[in-house]
Amino acid sequence: MKKSLLLAMLMATMVVGCSSTDMKESMGLNAPFPELTSQTAELSAAAIDELASNPLLSERSVYFKFNSYNVESQYSDMLAAHAEFISKHNVAVAINGNADFRGSHEYNLSLGQKRSVAVSDSLSGLGIGSNNVETVSYGEENANQECTGSACDQDRRADIVYVGE
Amino acid sequence: MLNHIHRFIFFITLITLSLSSHSIEVIEILGGKASQIPIAITPFNEEIRTMGQVTDKKNADLQKMHKVIANDLERSGLFTSLDTSGISTIPDSDILINFSNWSALQAQFLVVGKIITIQNRLITRWSLIDIYKEKTVLSMEFSGSKKQYRGIAHKISDLIYKKLTGSPGVFHTRITFVKKKSEKIYGLYVADYDGFNQRAIVNSSQPILSARWSPDGEKIAYVSFEKKKPVIYVQDLNTGKRVLVANFKGNNSAPAWSPDSKKLAIVLTYSANSQIYIINSDGSGIKQLMRTRSINTEPAWSPDGKEIFFSSDRGGNPQIYKVNVDGVSDVNRVTFEGKSNLSPSLSPDGKLLLFLTQDNGKFRVAVQNLLSNQVLKLTKGPHDESPVFSPNGHMVLFTYKDYGKTTKIGTVSINGLKVTPLRVGSEAIQESSWGPITSN
Repeated sequence: MKKSLLLAMLMATMVVGCSSTDMKESMGLNAPFPELTSQTAELSAAAIDELASNPLLSERSVYFKFNSYNVESQYSDMLAAHAEFISKHNVAVAINGNADFRGSHEYNLSLGQKRSVAVSDSLSGLGIGSNNVETVSYGEENANQECTGSACDQDRRADIVYVGE
Repeated sequence: MLNHIHRFIFFITLITLSLSSHSIEVIEILGGKASQIPIAITPFNEEIRTMGQVTDKKNADLQKMHKVIANDLERSGLFTSLDTSGISTIPDSDILINFSNWSALQAQFLVVGKIITIQNRLITRWSLIDIYKEKTVLSMEFSGSKKQYRGIAHKISDLIYKKLTGSPGVFHTRITFVKKKSEKIYGLYVADYDGFNQRAIVNSSQPILSARWSPDGEKIAYVSFEKKKPVIYVQDLNTGKRVLVANFKGNNSAPAWSPDSKKLAIVLTYSANSQIYIINSDGSGIKQLMRTRSINTEPAWSPDGKEIFFSSDRGGNPQIYKVNVDGVSDVNRVTFEGKSNLSPSLSPDGKLLLFLTQDNGKFRVAVQNLLSNQVLKLTKGPHDESPVFSPNGHMVLFTYKDYGKTTKIGTVSINGLKVTPLRVGSEAIQESSWGPITSN
């Protein structure tokens, strides 16, 4: 009982002890978006050709069910192709998450983000590290605000966009 | 039937709680439609004085002054304004009132007035009369420029409201909303609480979200996508100058002012999923509130500044939770009914939670009494959003949308009895915020 209290106090001190400047810098304050870190390469002419000619690479969107952020198995081949491309050329990619208009704008921003992260996690499982991937959400801001029924399906998606395209 | 009784008990508790500290001349509210105070507001006769001559030409705007007052009181849901168009002789002062005539019309109160105009100026003399007690309750005179007629009418409404309910009126306050004119044109607007006198304070080709008025009335915090990703600005309403207060890696959104206007709770996706942080309102400092694997977003402060309410999907579907701002505390779940609950905010007295609930696929505005946990749904849906309290807690501003149609904005009274649209144009409206009561 006493030991865990001591531990808790110690941890609390550690958290308080971090200066907010350190925290802000490590959180990418005022970093440009998307960040092209020094560890990735720009899209070469050859890479651009490959993007245009490979049918799997021209598929850029993962679609989701309502309120879901589960990446379905039908996207495995497409994601594998992108992972291979990213790894081969060491390029940077942004994954833009989206939601349909139902629910609040802010919650949809978070849901879009979760979808983006889910695709990023899939790529991570295929060996692609965080140096190459940046996640961002547009929530419902790109969605069709007047859709009804299945016409809203296309708004629930994460898009793969190569930096420099 | 049961719904009616629920509404009655809910509303009585609400009014009793908010009126308990107020004074003598307060009218007892009975419940249901019978609770609305019948008030007759007669047209204010205009007398034009130009260089000593009295002419016939009347100002069309000024003839609307009584309508502005009637619309204000009706919108609150606590009054029914009676149609006085059939009455042949309209009194313009509290002298020689025929009380039995007004009583026969079922009026409990009467408002009469007169406007004297001299070039660009006007003087309004008006009275509030209690028909049952047969006496004048308020009698005042205001002057101003003709252009200010709406502001003067709102001031009269506030005085009537305060006198008859014991609570401050909000008819002089202002609101913000975002207009989406097209895919590439967004504007953040400030307007009178009823939608009049709107002006854009931000124009952008990218989306604007989550505009929030600071409690001290000086600034608006909002989310902008102009940098191609969401970042947070704080803009000074007086100078028009703005400061970029949050531009961390990932999304920056959902700014919520602390009650003293010194801090902002914000949501960052720096660590992958949405988490809540607290920064100073000038962008300095940063403290993480808590961290889980789930979405934590839409922070809202309790009026005492001690707790933050927020929405989270940690239990599966989004629900509303609360946590202490200082120190380590348990996170407590607040909403239990309904498939998902979003967009929390607190009434000025901290007793009611206002939120969005998903009910049979429809998104509806609801309030929950935080002591009894009783829930009252205020609107019908199907796509209602962005509910915010008026600064006296008696009305809610929200956006609403029918299937396949454009989003509009309107108010609903806290007793659920009166839904009134705001006429601000035909473009889509999203994201509303309500400014504070000001003392001028």
